[in-house]
This record gives sequence, structure tokens and C-alpha cells, in this order.
Amino acid sequence: MTVANSPSTQGPPESVRPLLAALADPASSASYDESHWDRVIPIARSARLLGVLAHRVFGNVDRSGLPDRVQRHLDAGLIEARFRRQKTLYLLHTITPILEGHPGPWVLLKGAGYIAQDLPFSHGRLPADVDLMVPRTSLDGIERGLLNAGWEFEKNEPYDQHYYRAWSHELPPMVAAGQAMELDLHHGILPPVGRIRPDTARLFADAVPVAGSRFHVLCPQDQVLHAVVHLVYDSDFVGRLRDLLDIDALFRRLPLSDRAARQALVERARLHGMEKPLRLAAHLCRNWFGTPGCDGLVAEGAAAASGLYGRGIVAMANRVLGPTNGQDGSDRCARTAALLLEARSHWLRMPPWLLAYHTASKGVRSLAQRATKREGTATG
Amino acid sequence: MRIADTSVESLLQRLSSDGLGIDFGAARARVRTALPAVAGMIRTLYSGYTTEDAGGMFDVTVELRRVRGVRAFIRPQCELLCDGVREIEPFPLDTPLPLLEWGTNYAIATRLFCYLLLHAGVVERGGRAIVMPAMPGSGKSTLTAALTLRGFRLLSDEFGVVRLGDARLLRMLRPLALKNESIDVIERFEPSAVIGPRFPKTHKGTVAHLAPQASHVDARHEVAHPALVVFPRFDPAAGVELEPVKRTRAFARLAVNSFNYHALGPDAFDALGQLVDESSCWQLRYGDLDGAIKAIGELLDETRRTGDAVPAARDPQAVA
Repeated sequence: MTVANSPSTQGPPESVRPLLAALADPASSASYDESHWDRVIPIARSARLLGVLAHRVFGNVDRSGLPDRVQRHLDAGLIEARFRRQKTLYLLHTITPILEGHPGPWVLLKGAGYIAQDLPFSHGRLPADVDLMVPRTSLDGIERGLLNAGWEFEKNEPYDQHYYRAWSHELPPMVAAGQAMELDLHHGILPPVGRIRPDTARLFADAVPVAGSRFHVLCPQDQVLHAVVHLVYDSDFVGRLRDLLDIDALFRRLPLSDRAARQALVERARLHGMEKPLRLAAHLCRNWFGTPGCDGLVAEGAAAASGLYGRGIVAMANRVLGPTNGQDGSDRCARTAALLLEARSHWLRMPPWLLAYHTASKGVRSLAQRATKREGTATG
Repeated sequence: MRIADTSVESLLQRLSSDGLGIDFGAARARVRTALPAVAGMIRTLYSGYTTEDAGGMFDVTVELRRVRGVRAFIRPQCELLCDGVREIEPFPLDTPLPLLEWGTNYAIATRLFCYLLLHAGVVERGGRAIVMPAMPGSGKSTLTAALTLRGFRLLSDEFGVVRLGDARLLRMLRPLALKNESIDVIERFEPSAVIGPRFPKTHKGTVAHLAPQASHVDARHEVAHPALVVFPRFDPAAGVELEPVKRTRAFARLAVNSFNYHALGPDAFDALGQLVDESSCWQLRYGDLDGAIKAIGELLDETRRTGDAVPAARDPQAVA
């Protein structure tokens, strides 16, 4: 195999391909034997996609034709997703009275937003937490309301609080007794000190109300772009296959294959300064899912991902996006890629002087903690 | 062929290549390891199980191995990969079997969301099951072990596996983990019991495992009907005291003590409701094992009404 055709640089690694094939063509899973399922189910679970896979398979295949063991695992995926969905809706229900009186729009981002809109691809999806974006001017009041109602910050050390408040677009994650989900209270979608500064006013101004709910979601284009920057710009790509699949689904929803819809998206990306991440995401979606319209977007937009830098990011992301099953750390390339991508995500998140300060503070605190611990064990 | 009939060498050969398939009943695992000592321990604890091909589909693949790297020189450790991922923290290298057993239980508990999993010991006689929830200080494992050595067949010591829809109990036949003094208690109680090596200084104290008997393993695909729920409490000062427990109270205690009741929603509510409805529920305070076993046997006989006899049926869902 030549380097040019090598799957690791051109697309997803071998171990993930059975899962991708099942997701892309769930009807074909009717003919899988147990050994083949054994290569699909564990990978799907590690990628947090078991419920999504189950939803697609059961929607396309007569379940009674599937092996019992397969049915049971797919059921397990659906059950867990149903539970998280229920807990998400419960959280939204309980915080609504707290938000009352604080000017909105109250914008649900990502998973909670997909669930609130009841988008088809939200079925079987496992939401990680609830992300709620509120206007900066309402933030303090809502935070007080939540704290009074029993919500607490998970990280309450002064430095963490300072870090989130000074340089982040969200408060530290909040938890409450009886709630299975964490709540992230946002006032933006990217750190205010990062390289990309989206037009937050427009995010709010163009947000659309969710039918039958007190909440809003971002407009369809902004939903795509938020998912894009969340993965391509604000993460290290490691194990984030699910996030890429979200982008795939959101692309298809526009649909990206429609030229006018594509242009509107690029237009919107330009407004927020997100053209580069958008093209990287299109590149990855094309490689992993063959999402219709990605070719057009990459071709029309030229540059970005075809440059040496863009190609490098795509090649590294291909290495680390999938679940790590079976990679025991001996895969040096994947490890190096993960390291470089992590460095990149920090680099993009804040200017160098701040990054240096942040890294130094973290280091000092970690040393101090270790010293206290040692002292503690010596005296105690 | 039973695992007892294979040599340690051929077992190690399997374990270190494709893996050894082990069928626990409601779930099966593919086990891999290249640690020679572990092959011998597996042969002891799983002697009654059949050797299975590593092909096909497994609920989980576990791989036990030595942790490599610089740290290994200072503190040698072993780790367990579940489906190729390290989901739990490594153990010291000299406790590989407790890691394998505990880790496999963990992997099963997190993967079998399609069943209601009660934290309970379960045994049966004549296809009628006795569910004993694990409360702190209950001596649940000791009592479960003793019952299986006196004519009751083991369903599971860790998970009561309840099938949603009809509240039947499935078997999750795993070696039974005995802790601290209960190891000696069971050894004295039944000298012929097969107990694996002792591992002192684990996070739960000294641990040793009781091997399930071959006849119990052979029944691993049979379902059992719920008949008794017994909340045991060990009290050296007590004789044998039985007290009825209200069904509503039993329901609540079982639900709280479940691994996944909260996540299964109405399905769990219905299944547990049916289980409790079909059971007679008791609190058992006991000072000696023989007395407790006698009392449980009598309760089981009493609760059997005429025409209520249910033969152990083969689980239609189980894959042979």
C-alpha cells in the first residue's frame, strides 16, 4: 500500500469501518453474522453511538431476523439513550421557572437543542450534558437563581472560577441533586479570548423559538457552525466521532447538497469568521460519511483544507477521531497526533501570553497540591 | 469439553491467542491473557464450564495483561481491557484474578442494560428462585455460597438478572467472591468446596473465589420463577428469626439496591412489581448457616401452593 492510498491519511482507520458501513447502510445489517456484529457493537458503544446505531438498524431491518444477542445490545443502547433524553427534558422542565423573569432568548445548544426540536437524529443519541446560552445581561441573575434552587458548581476553586469567568464563554459546569445531567450555562459559543470571535449578537438575534417550548435554538446555519467549531476548533478530536456524526446529520438537514443552502451556510460562516473550520469539517465528513454536498463545499471554498496545514489537521484527525479500542498506546502516530491536536486546541483557545499564564498557574497549583498531599500523609 | 479436562498449557495457548469463550448464561465473555499464573487460576475456578470457541459475538471481550512502561519497575501492575479499552484502574500485579473477576462483573453490569440488574445473590430449587439483596452486613455472599453447597443451584451472587416483560430470573453464573472471614467459614462449612487462591490486601480485604459446580453450570440457560425475596442479616447473637416484609417495602429496597433501576424507567417498575407480586418477602436474622438454610428451604416449600409448581423452562432467548 502506498502512502497516498493509506487509509490512515485518506480516511477512517480500518477498525471503525464496519461501524461506519452499518451507520451508512443500516439495511445491509440484516445480513451480518455474529462475528461481524462483534466488530460493530463494541466500537459503537465506545464511540457512544450504540443508541444511534440501534435507531438506524431497527428502523430499516426486521428485528426478529437479528441474532438475540445483537437485539439485546441494541436495546441496551436505546434504553440508555431514552434515559438520558428523559433526564434532559426533566432538567429543562425544572429550570424553566428559575429562568422566568430573566430576559431571553434562552438558547439550547447541541444535544439539548436537538432533543427539544425532536430532530430525527436525536433519537438514540446520548446527550453528555445540557448547554444553555443566555444573554450576558441575564447571566448573573440566572446563575443566582440556579444557586438558590440547589444547583452547585462542580469546580469551586477560586482559580477555576476565575478562569471560566475571565476567559471562557461559559460558567463552570453545574450539578444538582436529583439531576442526572450537568448544566453548562453559556453566554457565547467560543472563548472571548480565542482566535475566532463569532458575532454573538447575531447568534441571539437570529435564534428561533422551539414549538411548544419556552426555549430557543440557534438558526439552522448557526446550529451547524456551532457543531463545527465545537469539534474542529474547540476540541482535540480524540474519540469525537459522535460530534462529527452530528455535523453530518446537520449538513444533511440543510441540505448541504443544495447549492443555495451551501452558499447561505458559507455566507453565515463568513459572518462569524468560521470558514476555515467549516471547510475542515466538510473535508472530514466527506472522508468519514461521504456526506452529500461536502465535495461542493470543499471545491467552492478551495484553499483551507487543501493547504499543507489543513491536510495535516485532517490526516491527524483521521487517526484519533474513532474510539481507541484495541489501540494500546503502541500506535505512536496516533499518540503524536493526539498530542499535537491537543496543543493546537489550546493554542486556538487563547492568545499565547494567556496560554503561558494558564499553563504556569496549573503547574504551580498541581505542585502545591502534591506538596500538601505529601504533608498530609506524613502528619496523618 | 469442560475446562477441567483441558491442560493448563492448552488453556494458556487459547487464552493468549484468540481467547477463551466463557458462557455465564445471560452473558458470555471472551477472555484473553498471556499471564501463565492466571491460566491455572481460571482452570480452577471455571472447571465446570465448557471451553468455547472465541468466534462469534460476545457481550464483552476482556484482556488481562501486565502494565508496561517505566512505572512498572517501581510498582508492577496489571490492567484489564474491556473491548480493548481500559475502563477501570489497574490493580497490583499480584492480584490478577480479583481484577479479572471484578472487572468482568463491572463490564457486564455496564453492558447489560436490557435487563433489570439487582444487586443480589440469587439461588433456586425446582426452578423457584430466592432473591437475597445485598445490604451491608447481610452476609449475602456467605449465605449464597452455603446455599449452593446444600442443594440450591446458583443463579448469581452479584447480579439478580431480571428479564423485562415477564420478570423471570436469568442466570449469571460467575465465581462467587468470598471476603475475609467468610472464606474460612465456607471452607469449614463444606470442606469439598473448590475455592481458588487467597488474595490478601485487595481493596476489599482478603478475597478468594468459590468455583460454581458443574451441575449448576449446565443449568445456566434455564430461567427461574421468582418465589422468595429474603433480606438476610447476619447476627452472631441471633438464632433464626423470620419476619414478613411488606411487598411495597420490599419493592423499594430492591429498587434502591439495583444497578440500573433508575435508567430503565417504566419497564423496570413493571418487572420489579411483578417479581415482588409473585414472591413472598421476608427479613431473615440468622446466627448460623445451617439454621438459615433450613429456614429458607421451609419457606420455599410453604409458599409453593398446589398447582403452582413450575418446571424450569429453557430460556427461549438464550443462544446455546
